[in-house]
Amino acid sequence: MAERRKKKVKAENFFDFTLLFTVLFLILFGLVVLYSVSSYEANIKFGDGMHYLKNQSKATVLGLVAMVFAVVIDYHIWERFAFAAYVFSLGTIFLILTPLGREFNGARRWIFIGPLSIQPAEIVKVGLIIFLAALIAKMGKGIKTGSAFWTILGITAVPCFLLLVITRNLSSALIVAGIAAVILFMADPSYLKYILSAVAVAFIALLLVMNALSKSEKMEGKGDFRQARVVAWLHPEEFEEESSFQTIQGLYAIGSGGMFGKGLGESIQKMKLPEAQNDMVFSIICEELGAFGGICVIALFALLIYRCMLIAINAPDAFGALLVVGVMGHFALQVVLNIAVVTNTIPNTGVTLPFISYGGTSVVFLLCEIGIVLNVSMRIRKQEQLAG
Amino acid sequence: MSKKKRGKRRPPLTREERLRKEHRERRKLFRSMKEKLFWFVGIVFIAFVLLGFRIVYISKEKGDEYTKQVLLHQQYDSRTLPFKRGEILDAGENKLAYSEKVYNLILDANEINSSKKEDALSETMKALSTYFQIDTTEVAAFIKDNPHSMYRVIKKRISYDIVEPFLQAKEENKSICGIWFEEEYKRKYPCGTMASALIGFSGTDNNGQCGLEKYYDDTLNGSNGREYGYFTEESTLERTTIPARDGDTLVTSLDINLQNIVEKYMDGFVAAHRGEYREGEDGVKNMGIIMMNPKTGEILAMADYPNFDLNDPYDMTKFLSQGEIDAMDEEARLDYLNGIWRNFCISDTYEPGSVAKSMTIAAGLDSGALAGTESFFCGGKLTVSGHEIKCHKHSGHGMVNLSQALEQSCNVALMQIGEMEGKDTLMKYLYNFNMGLKTNIDLSGEARTDSLVYKPENMVASDLAISTFGQGYNVSMIQMVSAFCSIVNGGKYYQPHLVTEIRDSAGTTLKKIEPRMLKQTISATTSDTMREYLTNVCLKGTGKTAVPAGYVIGGKTGTAERQPRDGINYVMSFMGFAPVDDPQVVIYCVIDRPNVEDQPHSTLAQDVVKDILTEALPYLHIYRTEELTEEQIRELEEKNLLSVSENGVNKQDTETTEDAQEPAEPVNQYDPETGALIDPSTGLPVQTEEDDGTPSSDLGGLIGIENDPAKALDDDSRIGPPNASGLGGSSGGNSGIGAGAAVGAGDLDVDYQQDNSPSDTQQAPSPGGETTVDFGAGVGF
Repeated sequence: MAERRKKKVKAENFFDFTLLFTVLFLILFGLVVLYSVSSYEANIKFGDGMHYLKNQSKATVLGLVAMVFAVVIDYHIWERFAFAAYVFSLGTIFLILTPLGREFNGARRWIFIGPLSIQPAEIVKVGLIIFLAALIAKMGKGIKTGSAFWTILGITAVPCFLLLVITRNLSSALIVAGIAAVILFMADPSYLKYILSAVAVAFIALLLVMNALSKSEKMEGKGDFRQARVVAWLHPEEFEEESSFQTIQGLYAIGSGGMFGKGLGESIQKMKLPEAQNDMVFSIICEELGAFGGICVIALFALLIYRCMLIAINAPDAFGALLVVGVMGHFALQVVLNIAVVTNTIPNTGVTLPFISYGGTSVVFLLCEIGIVLNVSMRIRKQEQLAG
Repeated sequence: MSKKKRGKRRPPLTREERLRKEHRERRKLFRSMKEKLFWFVGIVFIAFVLLGFRIVYISKEKGDEYTKQVLLHQQYDSRTLPFKRGEILDAGENKLAYSEKVYNLILDANEINSSKKEDALSETMKALSTYFQIDTTEVAAFIKDNPHSMYRVIKKRISYDIVEPFLQAKEENKSICGIWFEEEYKRKYPCGTMASALIGFSGTDNNGQCGLEKYYDDTLNGSNGREYGYFTEESTLERTTIPARDGDTLVTSLDINLQNIVEKYMDGFVAAHRGEYREGEDGVKNMGIIMMNPKTGEILAMADYPNFDLNDPYDMTKFLSQGEIDAMDEEARLDYLNGIWRNFCISDTYEPGSVAKSMTIAAGLDSGALAGTESFFCGGKLTVSGHEIKCHKHSGHGMVNLSQALEQSCNVALMQIGEMEGKDTLMKYLYNFNMGLKTNIDLSGEARTDSLVYKPENMVASDLAISTFGQGYNVSMIQMVSAFCSIVNGGKYYQPHLVTEIRDSAGTTLKKIEPRMLKQTISATTSDTMREYLTNVCLKGTGKTAVPAGYVIGGKTGTAERQPRDGINYVMSFMGFAPVDDPQVVIYCVIDRPNVEDQPHSTLAQDVVKDILTEALPYLHIYRTEELTEEQIRELEEKNLLSVSENGVNKQDTETTEDAQEPAEPVNQYDPETGALIDPSTGLPVQTEEDDGTPSSDLGGLIGIENDPAKALDDDSRIGPPNASGLGGSSGGNSGIGAGAAVGAGDLDVDYQQDNSPSDTQQAPSPGGETTVDFGAGVGF
């Protein structure tokens, strides 16, 4: 009997191959681009052009294994371990303070366990998505209450604060807060308070920019580095050799690529942009593959987000839907912020481009998230698939 | 598992109930969520679209500006460190080609403008005009118009002698700023036109054109290094350098002293006949001379005309007037240049003429078709399958034996020999002598001749007949000289080559290129006999003129009529070797269409060879063995060519001083009258034993046979009437009468035009690049 039912469920169920192949394509494309972008610097630093590619490939394989596990395991299990995941992820931030944590490139953001170097910020994102999704699903209609709103705000504030204080990583904190905001916005039927919040955030941002500008005038740009970045954002050419160096070099890369680029591997700017394989990788994509190549990458992420939306709408229960929403928010925020930074639309923050920027922890946990989304998609029954 | 556990907590639902419950929940939950999802995704997509527009905007609006910035910065922050192309040396380590570092003067206007010193601009301008003679008004105007420019090349390729005093001045005067230098290499050829097509040239792009420069392009080139500005996290500029890897050096077997001698007489010949018959034309259409070491296949000298100045290879004024050059379009100019750059010695083909008779006779002796005792009758012509082929001596040579056939260069005898050999044997041997195959000499542009030789299956009797005296098929000089080396050196065919050693830029030997023997063309015994015959050619045959005073040499003359066979245009050649018992040098001179009224005299080539050998043999430690006549001594003294041994005064070039001090090698002496070997101790003719122990008939013995009319008659009677036997064999065995008739009519013009051949050489109209062949009357001397 059980056997028959299982078969039936299997036959009826849905699997989002579009999402899977989009992700696989992005991963492979990311590896190719990473090699092109990083080989020059890897050669100088390590004497091995494949250095970054090798590391990233190992992480990708690990991530794919993790993704398969996430696809196989029923996502409802995460509901029970939600709080544990949250606490565990917070714990990893504290590990940075122990001897396991190590400073690298002037920032203490990594923990090293044996051969693995892990960025706790990435774990926190996954932990928070699971915990918030479980919490809100449990609340049900209770989400509308004010106390629920503040509870969630408090739950989010803790990792944000820790990331800011311990790792001094504003961008990660911003992403974490953003993910929470997206989940909350989706779960709560109310609009007004979110529109008000958005206006408030925009106003504060404006104030900060004004503040930074006035300060920079007084101190000739020698304020703290975030303020300097704001000034550099508005006048990149003026600070070419200083704080806006990275930004302006990225812009040069995009501009010199033209519509169809110089061709894969032909970038000149990758020799100049420090750590081009990290945050600024998109500018090198534009240089080598042109504006056209850049837009294609954006289109791929758009497809990924669209598939997440469909899955969220058709998810069998609130927990599943909110999980998918969290992952979708995570991707959307990172992609938009990263490309906005690279094109100098917003001031420089260190946000990486999912699947393409160099970073092992990021790839592993992003793939875990995709695995969870795919698992949710498997619970959608065929006849309900059209509900989107 | 999980379902079981959950089942404990609440009562299990039926599938339908569960579905309905879930559906209810979802309806409630998702009504608002769906809406919000659309909002969110909508906003994200709008953001994507805006960002897309932003990217397009950046690349469209700022593309040009940013591209300029990228290129500017690239040159400023990270620059290429050029590698040094490897040198080309001759056998005595003299530089034939090398690269010299030169400097490009770069102006950084930005630095001058941002200098704290008041007089930065004026002092810098002053220095520029003092040390580099640069017009500073232009530069000052540029600085004013482009105050932020950081990279502008003001002057190119300045040598270090000029840069150095400026750098010193800059040290002392701190006001001078905004000037720096970029390194580059300039290729230099200290020997100018010497061995021009052989060496080849390369520009600043390090791209070798023709000759060694092209063939060894990859070896000579290294890889560029790089110095780059590298930015750390703190955005401070750090410089890192990857040094350039310099190219490898080639050591060649070429000897510039020999090359000098060869070119001196080649240029002398060309100059002597300039405008002599054809007005306004050079002394020759083409001319080539190769000197080769028969024991190794190494090229000692290789000269060809027309030659050009390697330091200025695009200069055509040597050959054309300015008006003619201006009248040419770009393509015509390049075609003409390619013609000049072409190496006649390897890229052009022609019919070898009578020099090839040595291959025919060697084939006969080696295959056993000839016993060496045969005699032939020459009546001045021979009819082969109905087609009359004349000997160059129309009255005929009468009875000739094998050696005399070669000495007199008798076409009729050779045709009979060909008849005895048969086309299969002859072609097998010609193929063995590498006719129709590339020699694979290490020079670019070697001609392919595979379609320019006969295939035995397509040969008719007349083809065989003219092949025996070197007409009807085409060869290149390098093929001919390599084949001839094997005839005189004991039958060993060496691959001709130039490069003997490759060294890295530090001087460490990377590779030694040893002589490569490819095959045994003929046996050592046959080779011995051939040397005797060829010596006779120069002792009393057609090659007498080529013999330098005091020497015995061997050799073979050649004259071949060029297409169209109108009796006007000829290719004259002479192939020689010395000493006759142990050849150490083979020389081959080919003169294509000399500018003289009456061309067909191989003495033209012989004179050149004689002059060259007179100077070159003493230089090569090969000493005179014969008594000099009064006249010869006078002649040599006039030319300042008598060495220590003859007059006690060293008048040799400084290069040979060292050689002259070395003890003279024991040299075999010949009786000047009979040409017989003389034992130095007894003064009597001796019988020599060769290295392999095979007793060879000495020269005296051979002459004895020739001088014995009874013996000659005996040979005749044994063979029978030579023309009868020859014709009988021919008409009996030849089925291609129709073809023969066509040949007779003279219409069967088979054009072996080089342009039709699949040749990998530059197809430029060289002054004489068209070599065509027909079946008409070949004339050989």
